[in-house]
Parts: sequence; structure tokens; C-alpha cells
Amino acid sequence: MGVTLTALLEQIANGTMMGAIYVLVALGLVLIFGVMEVLNFAHGVVFMAGGYACDFFFVHLFGNYPAVVILTMLTLALVGLALERAVFRRLRVNVPMQIVASLGLILMAQNAAVLLFGPSALQLSVPTVHSLIRVGDLSFTVQHVVVIVAAVAAIVLLQAFLHWTKLGIALRATSQNPDAARVVGIDPDRIYRITFAVSCALAGLGGALLGPLFLISPQMGDLPMLKGLTAIVLGGMGSIPGAIIGGLAIGIIEAVSTLFISTDYRDMVVFVILIAILLVRPWGLFGVRVRGEA
Amino acid sequence: MRARATRLTAGVLFAAIVYLLAWAFDHSPYVLFALTLTLCYAIPAMALNLLLGYTGLVSLGHMGFAGIGAYVTALLMKKGGLAFAPSLLAGTLAAGLAGVLVGVPCLRLRGHFFIIVTLAVGIVLFLLFNNLDWLTGGAAGLPGIPRPRSIDLGVAVLDPRRPVGFYLAAATIFLLVFAIQYGLVHSDFGRSLAAIRQDETLAASRGVDVFAHKLAIFALSAAIAGLGGGLLAVFLRAVAPQSFGFLEDINLVLIVIVGGAGSLFGPTLGALLFIALPEALRIADSVRMLLFGLALLALALLAPRGLWGLALTAAQRLRGAQSAVSHAERS
Amino acid sequence: MGRPFSAAVVSAMASLCVIASAGAAEKSVDIGIVGARTGPLAAAGKFQFNGFDLAVDAINKAGGVKIGNDTYKIALKIYDTHCNAAEGASAMERLANVDHVVVVLGEVCSPAAAAEAPVASDYSIPLILTVPTAPDLTKQGNTFLFRVNADTDQLNKALAAYIVEHRWSPLAFIAWNNDAGRGGVNGMKALLPKDIAIGYVGYFDVGTVDFSSDVTNIRKSGARAVMLLMDEEPGALAIRQIRDAGVDAQLVGTLAMGSDRFLKRVDAKYLDGMAQYNAFPPGAAAPRIVEFAKAYHAKFGEEAHGFAAQSYDGLMLAVKAMQAAGTASDGAAIKKALSAQSYDGVIGHIQFDGDNQAHPPVYVTQWCNDGTRKIDFPADMRSGCGGG
Repeated sequence: MGVTLTALLEQIANGTMMGAIYVLVALGLVLIFGVMEVLNFAHGVVFMAGGYACDFFFVHLFGNYPAVVILTMLTLALVGLALERAVFRRLRVNVPMQIVASLGLILMAQNAAVLLFGPSALQLSVPTVHSLIRVGDLSFTVQHVVVIVAAVAAIVLLQAFLHWTKLGIALRATSQNPDAARVVGIDPDRIYRITFAVSCALAGLGGALLGPLFLISPQMGDLPMLKGLTAIVLGGMGSIPGAIIGGLAIGIIEAVSTLFISTDYRDMVVFVILIAILLVRPWGLFGVRVRGEA
Repeated sequence: MRARATRLTAGVLFAAIVYLLAWAFDHSPYVLFALTLTLCYAIPAMALNLLLGYTGLVSLGHMGFAGIGAYVTALLMKKGGLAFAPSLLAGTLAAGLAGVLVGVPCLRLRGHFFIIVTLAVGIVLFLLFNNLDWLTGGAAGLPGIPRPRSIDLGVAVLDPRRPVGFYLAAATIFLLVFAIQYGLVHSDFGRSLAAIRQDETLAASRGVDVFAHKLAIFALSAAIAGLGGGLLAVFLRAVAPQSFGFLEDINLVLIVIVGGAGSLFGPTLGALLFIALPEALRIADSVRMLLFGLALLALALLAPRGLWGLALTAAQRLRGAQSAVSHAERS
Repeated sequence: MGRPFSAAVVSAMASLCVIASAGAAEKSVDIGIVGARTGPLAAAGKFQFNGFDLAVDAINKAGGVKIGNDTYKIALKIYDTHCNAAEGASAMERLANVDHVVVVLGEVCSPAAAAEAPVASDYSIPLILTVPTAPDLTKQGNTFLFRVNADTDQLNKALAAYIVEHRWSPLAFIAWNNDAGRGGVNGMKALLPKDIAIGYVGYFDVGTVDFSSDVTNIRKSGARAVMLLMDEEPGALAIRQIRDAGVDAQLVGTLAMGSDRFLKRVDAKYLDGMAQYNAFPPGAAAPRIVEFAKAYHAKFGEEAHGFAAQSYDGLMLAVKAMQAAGTASDGAAIKKALSAQSYDGVIGHIQFDGDNQAHPPVYVTQWCNDGTRKIDFPADMRSGCGGG
């Protein structure tokens, strides 16, 4: 089967766009894991909540998409604070119960979405989805570009926060060594709250960006969460650059693979990669190998 | 010696109760159905408990092995015309073999890495069940799996086509697995597993072949899960990929954790809750799953050691209260 | 308070008694419904429930149904199975042994139906399917299982004939990765003659909606036509993405892509020329369809869906069978009556064959460039633009 250059370029472009979404999800996951050692399986429903919130605000408040996106991020940040306080604070060392609580949250959120918004998926119509860009044989909506630009902006802001603000540096310090951080006067509990808030804001951004492009449904966050998880394993569980590279890589590999194998195995490709990484180099590309862990 | 005699009596009593439930609910087929379904899920739960509760390995893809058992059993009975017992045995062995194939490369990993790799394996297995139309019937699954034929026991005839008959057959298999679980936990092998759960490096320094133990228990656990899957397939008379997918994997882990990981009765208690509670909530059908999610959340926050742990704590408090009273009376 | 008050109370209570006893003469028969209220196929399930609701409304508003010597109102007992086999079996067991229903209808997914069917047989309760399409379901020799809707093989036959007639080769597919999608593709492949080449087959999981890879591959394969085996929601996206990428192939749709609701999701310019097969062309001029569409719109404020029509007919048929059998409690007798029924419903003529499978008509409609549709197949129902 001859693979034309056009097809390859088109898939790389598609993959970069989906990869940007995975990066946003992965960043949220890696922040919480890096700082709190918590694997938040409910991250997918936070993503989903971002999509629904965006739709709700756009339709019922004001029809200005950029403003609505920012509002969604703020709302989900508050949700993150609530989650940390009510649920995850108490379960920090109890991994099995984290899983129980996460599933409880997933069930509640997905069913609440059905009860509030009905079982049919929502279609959010914003202008950027209707205008097309044509590059040779390929065509994309402006929203594709918006997603990539927004993701890049989020990454830049996040890095600025982590490296140039006191709070951000405190966050990194806590992730490296919570006890030492306490010694220098950092309040870990405050850091955990902020971490959760930022993480959920990023997931909410992902949902708000993806929603108009596709559909807003209760299950929309499930696969992105799993792909984001794969991304952080690929990149290295505590590493932010790793999450970025990992997310992009997963997006592109997934898209390009469909040129060679049937699409019903597309998801399998990602999970086989996940297994392969874990068997060969579990600490990922940029992670730190911890003796005794792998 | 005394302790063993007590344990033996307790075991016989437990078995008797399980069997007697069939007569108690002889005229309530719905209750028997729910109980049989509970037993079918309790078996893979006990299998996972051996891994999670006793060895400290969290496997998030374990229903995949149940699925292998289910499909092998179903295909042999439906397309191959084989009898129940050999089909079920084949399903169990196939799942065990899969356990070995997965375990050898994956058991080197620990902690979060092991959790994630088992999650991925579970999803890959589900995708195979769903996509291999020619073998597994694909997404539509396999309808029309026959029930086992009647068995003449001399004093009575056991007919698995009827609710009581199948319940008794399932109960027998359940008790067998329970006995295996019990025997394992109280053996040297089991004690080594507990040592591995506490501290792998320490166990290794004491001469325990950690990897061999982990592999053995993983394979056994996979085989028992396959046994449960095969039983489920014949009980429902239909196999479908969704019964062995991501949500079911998580469900199984929850059953073990909520019931009380690391205890003998925990998995059974968890299965009972997870089957009985949603059925009871059918009165509020539209909010059923939401309430169930709420219940799980409440449980995670209030009962960190699971239901069995709750029961034990309650028992301790009672004993503590009693001894405080008798203490007060004496003084 | 005094005499007048107590007299008023007594007469009020007396009239209440009269009303109560009049109400007590009214009997009701419980009919069980299984389907997807939650989970990924809840949207499809909603249309199905709507159809049952509409039928029950029609019957009860007319005063109920006369079975034997009594008049009965219909009451529905609905359980959510969210496309899970174990839940399906549980729901059936409960309906049979706790709610004591006399007949069960519904289900969306074939795997759940596969687990429900044996339970129906166990307790002699007819189970009438109105949506699942896996052909195997009615081939297990279960005399208590009936299916009102066309199965995948029947749907494919109509479409295969249409595709061959128009010589659309090579043909590409994008399909749901579930029983409906995979079954559809496999069935079509088996039915199409060798001279229709299969260009590309792409599956996607229910819920995922990114067709960019499929679009690239379709363009690469040079397909003349693309068949979309999915429901409205992903269908709208797929069509938009295909056309936005500049791929001009003929589109062949399915299920509810021939509806005005679908038109709202996608612009008319995208749909022009697309053909789809359907059990229910909502705009057809046939009186049975016009009446149903009006009633559905009046109650639910939206355009009717094929699943609703199929379910409506299913329930009406069940009630007719009860009347024919003269019983609202004997499942075996009702089953016998069902097998013998010959019924003209909203979806057309319904009569069960030896496998208890009905053979309702399957239509192919085509979109015109002004946002209306016409019926192109079967030939005797051909219409101009606006008649589909």
C-alpha cells in the first residue's frame, strides 16, 4: 500500500491537533501525580465537565467563545479545589481507595450529565468551527488551529508559573521533597490545593476546546484520559516536558498508524505502545529511574 | 489443633448455609438469580483478592482473563458440542496460560507501573474480543450458549437448566474456590506472599524467590478468574465483549476493595453488595447509577478498609465496650 | 362545627367511594420494557422509550383495550440495562418473577438481547425486540423471541441492490465498532458482488468522533462512494469532515440520516445527493407515517425517529396479540397469537416468519439540494422531492 506524502502530512497534522488535546490532559495528570503521587482516574470527567460548562456558558450566558473558555477554566479550577478538599485529601496514601473514589466520581458525573443535559450529545456551534483553511489538498477548520495555539499558550503560561513565580517554585519544591519543603516554610496543603485547581483548569480547557470540534457527551473524556495516561508514562511520570512530548507523540503515532492498519485497532496501537514502554523503559523518556520501582 | 477444628466447623457451617440458601429461596427465582450472579462474580473477585489483597499486586485488567475463560468455554460448548466440565476446564487452563504469558514480562514492574500495564492488557484483551468477529462473534457476542445437561446424583437429579439446579452447581464451584483460597492463605506459600506484600526486598533477602511466587499466584489468579468467566458465560447463556471491558475491570477491583481486600470473606461480601445494591436501587431507576456512585464515594471516605474492615471495627468496638462494662462492674 | 358540615363530609366521602369503586373496576396489565436509559446508547434508547410512551398514551386515552371480557389500561414497567448482558438478564428475571409482566418489549443492543431471550423462554414471556439488528438473535430456536425491526441482513440486501444498480465502486465504509456497525459491514461485504470493490473499511468506537484518519484513507483509496454505518450524532460529524476535506464521493447513510433533525445538525449543502436506507422515511406521504409523525411531534416536539416507530408498532402488536388470544396473563397463548398475527403498522406490514422475524419494508431515500428528500426504493414507493 503506497503511502502518499499528502496522506502522511495530513495525518501528522491531524495527530498534532489531537496531540495538543492529549498534552492538556497529560499536563493535568502529571501535575497531580508529580506533586501528590495521586493517579486521578476521574480526570476524564473533569475534561467532560469542561465541555458541558463551555456549552452551558456559551448558550446561556454570552456567546463569546474566548471569554467562555476562560470562564470554564476558572469554574473547573474551583471544582478542583472542591475535589481536593472533599475527596482526595483524605486518600493520599490509600491507592485502592483512590480508585474507588475515582470511580464513584465518574459514575456520579456521567449520570448527572445525562440527567441534566439529556442522553443526546450536544453540538456546540462556534464560528471557528465553520470556517475552513485550505492548504493544498488538505483542509482544516480554524478550530484545529485554535486548539494548537491555546495548548501552546497554556504550556507557556504553566512553565512561566512554575519557574518564575514564588508559588510555582514552591510547587516544584514540594514535588521533589514535601518534607524539605515544609522545612523552608512551604505549606504542602496549600500547594496540593493549587495543584488540583491548576490541573482541573487544564482539563477543563481541553474539554472546552475539543467540545465544539466534535461532540459534547458524558463519555467524551474517557479515551482522552487513557491516552493522557499513556502520554505521561511515555514521557516519564513526573516530568512536564515528558508530558508534552508524550502527548504529541501519542497523537501523531495514533493518526499515522491508521495509514497502515485498520482503524478499529487504532486504540489498540496506543495501548500496545503503553505496554511496550512499561516493559522496556518504564521510567519513560524523561523520568527518573527509581531503584526498586522498575 | 483447637483452632483448626474451629476453623473446620466454621467452614462446614458456611458451606451448609450456602447450600441451604437454595432451599430457602426455592420459590423466589429472582433472588436465586441474584445470588447465583453474586457467586459468579465472587469467583473472579476471590482470584483478584489473592493478587491484590494477599500479594499486594493491583491488577486493573483482570476481567480480561475472565473473558478468555468465558469465550473458550462458550465456543467449545456451542460450536464444539463439548460437555460443560471439559469446556470449563479448558477455559480455566486457557486463562491460566494467558496469565503466564502476561505475567512473565509484566511482573517485573511494581507500584503504579504494574497498575497501568495491567490496565492496558485488559483493554487490549477487550479490543480483541470485540474485533475478532470470525472467532468471538465480535461486538454482538455469542448468543445461545447451552446450559449443562442434568446430572443424576442417585438420590436426586441436579438440573442446571432450572434456577435451583444451576445455583447448586455454581455454589459447589464457589465453595471449591473458597477452599482453595483458604488453603493457599494458610500455607507456607501464602505466608511468603504476605511477606512479599509487606516488603519485597526484605522477603527476597530472607530467601523467598519473589518472581517465582508472583508468577505462580498471577497464573493461578488468572486461571480462577477464567473459571468464573466460564461459569458466567454458561449462566447468562450469552457472552459479550462489554462484560469483560474497562468498566468491568474497575468493577472487579472495587468489589475486592469495597468488600475488604486481604480477607477471606471480603470478595464475596463485595460481590453481594455490587449485585444486590444496584438491583435494590432499581426502584429509583433513573438515578440508580448516580446513587451507586455516591455510595462508592461515601464508602471510600468513610470505610478505608472496606466493608469487612468496617464489620471488624464494629466487632472490636462491641468487644471493647463489653470489656469496659465488665471492667467497670468489677471495679 | 355543626350538622351541615358533617353532612357535607359524609356526602363527600360517599362520592369518593363511588369514584373509587368505579376506578376499581378498571384493570391494568403490566408490560415490561428493557432498554438503555444510561450509557453510550442512551440517546438511541430515548427514541425507543418515546415510541412505547406514545403507544401507551394512544391506547389509554381511548379508554384502554378490551381483552376477553374486561377492559385494561396499559402500565409500563421500565428497566435500564445499559447494553450489558448481566443487567439484561437481571431485568428480565425481575420483570418475570417480581413484576409478573405478561410480555416484554424493547432492548437496544444485541448482546443484552442475547442474554434476555433465554430468560423469556424460561418463564414463557414473549420478548419482542424493536431495535437490535444482529441476525443471529432470531436463529437460536427460541420460540418466545420475536423481532419487529429488520435485521442487518435485510437492511443490507436493500442497500446492496441499490449500490449495484448505481455501480458505486470502489466502496468505502466508516462504521461503529459495535454489533450494528461491524455486522453491517460484514453483511454488506457478503452481499456485494465481486465487481463492487471494497476500498477502505474504518471502524470507530461509540463516543469517539474524530474521522480525520478515515477521511485521509478514503481520499487515498479513491472511493466513489462512502457508506456510513452509524447514528445521527457521529454521522453529522463524519459528513462534515468528509466534505470539508474536499472529498466528493457519493455518501450512503443509514438509520436516521434521512430526517429533518439530521438536517439541522448538518447543512443542506453537505447532504445533497446522499442516499440512506431507513425503516422509516419521516416525510413519506403514506397516511400511516403522516399520522404517526404528527402524533410524535405533538407529544415530543421533535421529528419522529425510526426506533420510535418500530417500538410503537411492537407494543400495538403485543396488545393485538393479547386480544386475539383473549388473555392478559397467559404468555404461552399470547406467543401463539403473535406468531399468527398479520398487522399493518406504522413501519409497514408486520408478519413473523418461522424464526419469529418480521420483514418490514426497507426504504432508500435520497436528499435533494433544497433540504427535502425523495424515496428512491422500493420502486412502488418512489416519490419526488419532498416525499421522503
